[in-house]
Amino acid sequence: MSRRYDSRTTIFSPEGRLYQVEYALEAISHAGTALGILAKDGIVLAAERKVTSKLLEQDTSAEKLYILNDNMICAVAGMTADANILINYARQAAQKYLLTYNEDIPCEQLVRRLCDLKQGYTQHGGLRPFGVSFIYAGYDPQRQFQLYQSNPSGNYGGWKATSVGANNASAQSLLKQDYKEDCDLKEACGMAVKVLSKTMDSTKLSSEKIEFATVGKTKDGRIYHHLWGADEITTLLKEHDLARDETGADGDRVTS
Amino acid sequence: MEVLLGITGKDFTLIAASKAAMRGATVLKAADDKTRSLNKHTLMAFSGEAGDTIQFAEYIQANAQLYSMRNGIDLSPSAVANFVRGELASSLRSRKPYNVNLLLGGVDPITLKPSLYWLDYLASLAPLPYAAHGYAQYYCLSILDKHHHPDIDYEQGLKILRMCTDELKRRLPIDFKGMLVKVITKDGIKEVEYNDDARVACP
Amino acid sequence: MDTLVAQYSRPMFEKENNYDEDQMDLYNPAPSMSLKFAMPPIAQPSAWLRAATDDHANPDCPIKIAHGTTTLAFRFQGGIIVATDSRATAGNWIASQTVKKVIEINSCLLGTMAGGAADCQYWLAYLGMQCRLYELRHHRRISVAAASKILANLVYSYKGRGLSMGTMCAGVTPSEGPALYYIDSDGTRLAGNMFCVGSGQTFAYGVLDAEYSYDLSEEEALALGSRSILAATHRDAYSGGFINLYHVKEDGWVKHGFNDTNPIFWKTKLEKGEFSNVTSEMV
Repeated sequence: MSRRYDSRTTIFSPEGRLYQVEYALEAISHAGTALGILAKDGIVLAAERKVTSKLLEQDTSAEKLYILNDNMICAVAGMTADANILINYARQAAQKYLLTYNEDIPCEQLVRRLCDLKQGYTQHGGLRPFGVSFIYAGYDPQRQFQLYQSNPSGNYGGWKATSVGANNASAQSLLKQDYKEDCDLKEACGMAVKVLSKTMDSTKLSSEKIEFATVGKTKDGRIYHHLWGADEITTLLKEHDLARDETGADGDRVTS
Repeated sequence: MEVLLGITGKDFTLIAASKAAMRGATVLKAADDKTRSLNKHTLMAFSGEAGDTIQFAEYIQANAQLYSMRNGIDLSPSAVANFVRGELASSLRSRKPYNVNLLLGGVDPITLKPSLYWLDYLASLAPLPYAAHGYAQYYCLSILDKHHHPDIDYEQGLKILRMCTDELKRRLPIDFKGMLVKVITKDGIKEVEYNDDARVACP
Repeated sequence: MDTLVAQYSRPMFEKENNYDEDQMDLYNPAPSMSLKFAMPPIAQPSAWLRAATDDHANPDCPIKIAHGTTTLAFRFQGGIIVATDSRATAGNWIASQTVKKVIEINSCLLGTMAGGAADCQYWLAYLGMQCRLYELRHHRRISVAAASKILANLVYSYKGRGLSMGTMCAGVTPSEGPALYYIDSDGTRLAGNMFCVGSGQTFAYGVLDAEYSYDLSEEEALALGSRSILAATHRDAYSGGFINLYHVKEDGWVKHGFNDTNPIFWKTKLEKGEFSNVTSEMV
């Protein structure tokens, strides 16, 4: 039945569905989990990095977390190649706004610019939609810290805590269970690793398997965003007793 | 001989513009309003070539209001100022540049900080505690240099403005038909009752 | 006929010793002895001078006249305050920061310089000479009115030939009391209570008008005069250097210093919080 409506993104099926969009969503649900938690003094984003081969260079830049602007970062779930196009577009939109108004683009506006583009691919162009969902973490003076999520349909929404990618349903329910209003950034970071450890295959994590980033405010009121280094992640994992035993694979590599 | 003046204080920005609309040696109107409000808390005063001024001001006004409608948030005074600067800069290199000088006053709706921006037709932009355009610069800036402080209240601001307009009446050879004065506070833009009738003589 | 025309069209100073010296002084304040100026051998000297010196119209003009100044003088209850800056500029070049723009004509008379530095210096020195001669001849000091008129008539006799001067004569005589006159190279001569002259005049007027009153105390008047020059040196690029301050009292003038504007500016800014537009913040 659905076959006839599969190949065209711009055609509704008789049930009123856009299959290509749904397939895109399906593709994303196999990608590494990404989640975001809004705290009262900042936001944390965390993502699972699927290590596909031991031969893969690990220390090259983050592949799930990206900086969009001075006031905004995002986590990606889905096709990284598609994401690169959108991230480049978002960065350009943010810079153009900065050039025009000499101030950072408000978070929701940047999210909407991206979603307008994504929406366009569900309606015209005759191409497939972008196969990525984003979680955005940002700050603007009007609405302070904000967390958004968007998907291939071009829909977006603001969240207190959310997740995308593999096992996102269970991650979501864990977040719902554990989320505390007015938690601080440190507590949110702890919650993020705990949820991630439960949704990932192995219960013990390592800095190679996850990426971490925070947005917050310095003591003098400046907004910072920070993509965590491996040692910072390891420290956090140890704090919550989730670190993988160091005598394992890691140790092997050193001696070999 | 158009006069534009702007003064900021601790919680307000005053904008004053002369009321005469002059063409050549004729006063066409003696109660002209050379200001446009761009949103709830940003006001722009303009002088320059006839025609250009209002066209440009209303173009900026329309764009500022479009932004507010699209985004449900007003542009901050600083954002408007930088936007206007950009428009003037691209106009300057176009076939027919706008010949408009501007003062842009406002109060930031989030930080509640008052601000004043001085822009000219060459697309210079300067945030200043007090500013003037035209001949008024020559007479008023020295007064403001002496009497202005950043934390003055509204009454003191009006008093300094009065010193400036009195000096202009005293020394400018052309009658500019008094001043239209508006004040921007966190509550919005208001016109100020400003009595122009008193005669001022040279000592 | 030609000789007749020549006789009447020639500048007055060329007629030498034709009549009684005393008499001549009244009619002709112009120099009588050796002041025969070589004029450029052309039909219209003023047009030639303008072409050679107008650096506004022609930035490559061969002669740059020193212009640009702020000078002020005002009458008040305690006499007259005279204040000037000390900068001399030639085009965009600051030629000097230590010019004396107040000329002490005698112990009771001061003249101020604005406009062409050479013109002012020369003719005010000449005025000093004429005033001294008047004193010697009449055994009393010249009135400010008369002194200013000598200068006015002199510059008027050169009208259209490119003099550039804006001067003030301030002084006291028993007959007039404190008197203040403005004379410029157009031939204007005005008596008045307050004048500011030069490219920085408007800035000085601004500060002066706002707080001026005839009943100012001596201290207030001196401070106001000095502050007005400071205002002008701050905003006018062609004014600066030092503040030269004089007070003309009943029994003659008193000098109140020749002070650098720079420390005065910072003192004013830091102690009184004025000049709030000057910040160290980058915006």
